[in-house]
Amino acid sequence: MYGENGHLLRAELSSLLKQHRIQLRIGGPGTHTVPVTTTGEERAQIGEQVRRYRQSTLTWCLQATIAVGPESESRLAPRATNPFRLPAAQHGGLAALHQALDHTVRASTAPLPDLAELTTQHDLPLVEHWRQVARAAALGEHDFDAGLGHGQLDDGQLHTLIGDIAATVRALVVLDARYATIPGWERLHRADRLGWAALACALDASLDPPDYSIDIRGWRPKTKVITGPAKPGLLGVLQAEHNLTIRMQTFPSAMNLRLVVDSQRLLSGDLATRVQKIEPALHEAWRVREQTYVDLQGELRNVGGSVGVGGLAVAEGANAWNRLKVLPPGTELDPRILHAFTTLFTKLDARIADVVEVGLQRRAYFVRVKVPGIVTNGRVVARVQERFVPPAEADHAAIVGLVRDRLRPPPEPPTAPPGAARSRAELHAAIVHQPERRAGGKDGVGI
Amino acid sequence: MLLAHAITLTKARSYVAALADRASTAEASSAYEHALIELDWIHGDDVPALDTLGLTTDHDTLILDAITTILQLADYGVDALGIELVLAALYDAHDLDAAA
Repeated sequence: MYGENGHLLRAELSSLLKQHRIQLRIGGPGTHTVPVTTTGEERAQIGEQVRRYRQSTLTWCLQATIAVGPESESRLAPRATNPFRLPAAQHGGLAALHQALDHTVRASTAPLPDLAELTTQHDLPLVEHWRQVARAAALGEHDFDAGLGHGQLDDGQLHTLIGDIAATVRALVVLDARYATIPGWERLHRADRLGWAALACALDASLDPPDYSIDIRGWRPKTKVITGPAKPGLLGVLQAEHNLTIRMQTFPSAMNLRLVVDSQRLLSGDLATRVQKIEPALHEAWRVREQTYVDLQGELRNVGGSVGVGGLAVAEGANAWNRLKVLPPGTELDPRILHAFTTLFTKLDARIADVVEVGLQRRAYFVRVKVPGIVTNGRVVARVQERFVPPAEADHAAIVGLVRDRLRPPPEPPTAPPGAARSRAELHAAIVHQPERRAGGKDGVGI
Repeated sequence: MLLAHAITLTKARSYVAALADRASTAEASSAYEHALIELDWIHGDDVPALDTLGLTTDHDTLILDAITTILQLADYGVDALGIELVLAALYDAHDLDAAA
């Protein structure tokens, strides 16, 4: 997830930015009170290692500019009057930053760190911070193809990401100047241009309020089925419902979908009865859900289709209902488990709504034909009764309407995780961090 | 599928669906739904649409009509064992409905 990788990147860069007198940190000379513990050659090796980690971070920044580049528009540019025309001017600051990053990455002689370097802990705290930065950057590369780039962000999120890239680049430029005393250190090529381009992007992005909901986007590990024996009590029902949500990721056949819908109807009804006294709000919500599934079940009777699987989903649905059925009526209900059901129900309802809509759209499901009746009106020849179906009904309006209006959960505006703004503010504060002055120093006030 | 077979099957499906709609408990209704799914399954889910509009509300009449029409399906070459399984499911649902 971008929030986790971005937070790690910023937190570790902040820690590095708060460290001054770098030679001392890597065991070099600097003060008579601390002995020298490393040779010049060893410090050069440490410098090379740090540059490899830095190269990984620069590569992340470069890839980020590529991912957001085509869609982003400068906030200084006038608003396009014709929505069917591309904006006249591209994002000048971002283009300059991309060019500068591309040049810097190409000009650097440091290779990218290998997997062992990224995953092996280092003894020196300074290098370990750099390793964490590089690790976050390497992990962050997965986010661009998983919901973070290539047209998947809205305007606010795009500019938040541009602001994050700019802050990271500025941090690297500041650190570069500070590390210049390390033996054999290679400065960033045209660091001044890199810094100015980053500043231009940061100022452009700050013209409107940021949208930190970008932090919940990006790559996430796959949710796994909870295997093993059934958990005791209501937890076992939750386990089966969780597994059902995962099993429903495969497309079910129409008959299996009907069985899953049946299990949800029973589950909602029974749970609503059990929580009537302790959670009236949940009781109401689950009664509504039960009725929705009853109606959906009625609609699905006339929907067929052999395409798809879904046997495992049916089994998990049956598990959930059978485990709930045997629970005694007075069983203690943990509120946390009950609210976990709400989360799972939301996910499952959205998935079932998707399945029905996609199934009808791709003709994996079809509406059954109504058999014409025979008119027996006393005449010798009985004629076949004709039945006209309005076009709206032929387009499955009833079931699609039910799924869209009642089953699909209302979209919730994405919310930023707590600490999203603070993490960014800390990095910006660290960029301008100054070492603490000693009491009684040149500008300090002595006691 | 011949027209007569389709009409019989439509009736059978409609009666079972009407029983599910008029069941006294959710569990009994679900049991009728399972009988309906069983009926669809023995036809390979290649069945005509059902229509419960205008059917009687009398439970006893509905169950008798359902059993009679399901038994008639044997005349159109439907597997006898399949029919027995559907009827067994229907009887179970009926017992559940009556017990409530």
